[in-house]
Amino acid sequence: MKLSSIARYVILGIFNAGSIYLIPLIITFESWFLLIVLIFISFLINFTYLTDRYKALKWITPGVIFMFSFVVFPAGYNAYVSFTNWSTGHILTKTQALNLLEAKTYTPENQRGIEFDIYILENDKKEYYYLADLDENNLLFGKAVNQENIESSSFAIHEPSLVNDSGQVIAPKGFKLLTGKEQINIANELQELSLVVNKETRVQLYKISVFGSSTGRLLSTSQRYLYNEDDDVLIDNSTGVICSNDGDNFICNGESVDPGWRIFVGSENYKRLFSNQRIRGPLQLVTKWTFQFATLTVFLAFVVGLLLSITLNKENLKFKRLYRSLYILPYAIPAFVSVLVWKGLLNPDYGVINNWLDPIYTFFDIEPIKWLKTKESARAAVLLVNTWLGFPYMFLITTGALQSIPKELIEAAKVDGASGIQTFWKITFPLLMVSISPLLIGSFAFNFNNFTLIFLLSGGGPPVIGSEVAVGWTDILISFSYRLAISGGRGNLFGLASSVTIIIFGIVLLISAISFRYTKRLERVYGNI
Amino acid sequence: MKRNKLRYLVILVLLSLVVTACGGDSDTASETPEVTEAPTETLAAPATTSPPPVKLVVWAEEKVATALDPLVGAYEAAAGVDIEVVVYDFGQIRTDVQTAGPAGEGPDVFLGAHDWVGELAANGVVAPLDLGAVASDLFEVGVQGFSYGGEVYGFPYATEAIAMFYNKSLVDGVPTSWSDVKASCDAAGTELCVGAPGGGGGGDAYHMHPFFGSTGGYIFAFDAGFDPSDVGFDNPQAIAAAEYLDTLVKDGTVASTDYGASMSAFQEGRAPYWMTGPWARGDASAVDYGVALIPQFDGNAATPFVGVRGAMVSAFSDNKVLAQSFILDFFATVEVQQSMYNSDPRLPATKSLFAIVEADDPIAAQFAASAANGIPMPNIPEMGSVWGPVGDAMLIIRDQNYGTNEETGVTVNSATDAVKLAAEQIRTAIAGG
Repeated sequence: MKLSSIARYVILGIFNAGSIYLIPLIITFESWFLLIVLIFISFLINFTYLTDRYKALKWITPGVIFMFSFVVFPAGYNAYVSFTNWSTGHILTKTQALNLLEAKTYTPENQRGIEFDIYILENDKKEYYYLADLDENNLLFGKAVNQENIESSSFAIHEPSLVNDSGQVIAPKGFKLLTGKEQINIANELQELSLVVNKETRVQLYKISVFGSSTGRLLSTSQRYLYNEDDDVLIDNSTGVICSNDGDNFICNGESVDPGWRIFVGSENYKRLFSNQRIRGPLQLVTKWTFQFATLTVFLAFVVGLLLSITLNKENLKFKRLYRSLYILPYAIPAFVSVLVWKGLLNPDYGVINNWLDPIYTFFDIEPIKWLKTKESARAAVLLVNTWLGFPYMFLITTGALQSIPKELIEAAKVDGASGIQTFWKITFPLLMVSISPLLIGSFAFNFNNFTLIFLLSGGGPPVIGSEVAVGWTDILISFSYRLAISGGRGNLFGLASSVTIIIFGIVLLISAISFRYTKRLERVYGNI
Repeated sequence: MKRNKLRYLVILVLLSLVVTACGGDSDTASETPEVTEAPTETLAAPATTSPPPVKLVVWAEEKVATALDPLVGAYEAAAGVDIEVVVYDFGQIRTDVQTAGPAGEGPDVFLGAHDWVGELAANGVVAPLDLGAVASDLFEVGVQGFSYGGEVYGFPYATEAIAMFYNKSLVDGVPTSWSDVKASCDAAGTELCVGAPGGGGGGDAYHMHPFFGSTGGYIFAFDAGFDPSDVGFDNPQAIAAAEYLDTLVKDGTVASTDYGASMSAFQEGRAPYWMTGPWARGDASAVDYGVALIPQFDGNAATPFVGVRGAMVSAFSDNKVLAQSFILDFFATVEVQQSMYNSDPRLPATKSLFAIVEADDPIAAQFAASAANGIPMPNIPEMGSVWGPVGDAMLIIRDQNYGTNEETGVTVNSATDAVKLAAEQIRTAIAGG
């Protein structure tokens, strides 16, 4: 057997062992979707690499898996979230929410804040008895029972004989007094137990102390909420109110009970986006600026990059390599770093830029520019920084494209008596656009969603004063959807924000499709030259 | 070759999945009994078989975690439990308890800021915590911060609030009343008077709170929890406060500065006062500074917004009584509180620690005194729709930016208009969801 096939089987074996290990784990978490995906992937991998029938699959499978897990799945999930009410107060499933609600206990108003020492005794049968030292007349002793047995349990009795004169507890025969340490070891059992005092009241342990005696408190014997499955309503035992089901929340006396749960709401989020004047106004403003920003930024970066590449494309230029590497530098620094550096440089009070401009300000006697603080300066700053970040890329690709244009064409134009400018506009530029325009479209789509730049540089600000939702002058659609997601009327609105991103996706898709069609036409016209 | 590389990558990814799954599994404690601990444990326990130690997972930010780490040993020994302190990025705790908790992977106890409580409680991921006897040692403002819907959700251990820095070489101290502030600046002959963030183009509702909250204005009414249906940002007292701020701006008492500008003005001696919080002590030390309470408004103590940090119990913890016991019986003790203070000097939330700190650090004591007058930032989820409008309204007044906004067509001609508009924005945002 060849080494490569040994390696293949060993790795496949490890992979399969991994997936078999994962299956029961996934089952315990009840994530059925993940289980289906895992079974499908392991089947696909085994099928592909064990048989030699489909050679092409061996090449494609990993790529397809990656595409599904990192592109299709997140996009699909995002689309799914946009059809749900996922937001603050609605992140759990209904079962989880009901479990939490039904686990709630309550203390009647007049018994709140009463705290007393509690002792835990264990008999031979591993049953636990509580001794609650409420006061001199109430040294309550009895068996601690769990939730199901509360109603059938007998009430605790006053047992002053269990405490001696100096206040120490004497365990009766057959019982052992548990220390704090022993209590802690069984804390998860003890937290389910209660000592029933009378029909309404019970005692529960709420603090185990290892340095002194443990503490108990009084609770109502009934749980706070009871779910009635037949009517799908919640009964609040503390007030006796029946809470109706609102679809994703229970409503008691007009007030919703937290937590709610998440449900499928259909196109509700999209309707809200377009019908709600509160959101629609800012959305128009932001959409307009997003287009301006993406177009201008691509245009400016392209112009600067092209100018530089033409300049450096001269045959007899000295230190050409040095210049080129210098111009690539902004591209080599991570945008995270350079954007934050720019933010510091632009600081109106002690930033370098205003320092340098200071002589100009004094000469013309004008107010220093409040960079990032006013609408115009913030928009200018965003464009300036993004041009700086973007031109090296444009410089790179145009340099490549310029060098690939056949020299004969240029020489032929010269022979025909064309001027330099004519040659550029009639020959070089159209040929350049054939290879560059798809990249410009890509750059447009990227900047359309350039969250990093906006978020780090201006944070979307300065705020549009008087608008009804929080929105800033430099907010683009993606940063606006982030704002919507984190600062809704009541916490986070993930569902609504997802619907904005789906709309962005649609816009980018549409623009790209139209532009590619246009580029194809360019190719047909100039591609044959 | 490309194919092979990819295949290895796939396998690597899947393997790492397996490894993380294994890592998560040890939380259940059923698989890995800690044999090394066993002999000492059995001395106390009469049973012949020693059960695996109970485990409690605590999520804490780095500074607190480093303070807790050497101390938990004492509790571990006394209680026979295994306390695992996980170092977490502070802001990350807020989001991760909401995803890890419901998935069964979350902590038992986690530390966080009080203004998360509304969101966490609404999402059902935090459990109420009955403070019991330890409540008497806590400043009221800290407990208020962790109150939501009639329940308390955390044990507060640190607070944070703004006060007034003053330049000792320019002024003797901070006057107790705003009407005397201008005179002290005139005597010092400085270019600006009070540098307070919230102007100069940078809206800042947090720093501006004393200006509208001291004489009876409020964002949300408080009664055992904040009430989102009662917005008091445009009640008569708040309007009067806004108009008073307008006069303070007009007569030059409060300068039109944002955070950066107020800082540089203070550092360069162009303004004798700087209204901000204890985090700025390093920046303020460029001059010889002192700290005092913010001047009173109309005889009422200035009420800054107070941020509170505390320990909370996860609703998805399997061992809630133990988690509560850990907080109340160990975390709340003055030794632990002091050790955390030494590692991360935030203002103490317990009276006993305050008594210790007061003697050592008079400046911290001034901030703590200012915090004791303040109110906690509302912790309800609706707060998300407050920061923007309130910051903007105060900004309009601070920068005297009255007039009509072309794009939105909104006219604001006075401080009263600005406040009314903001209150209306908050109400519509909350009603519109």
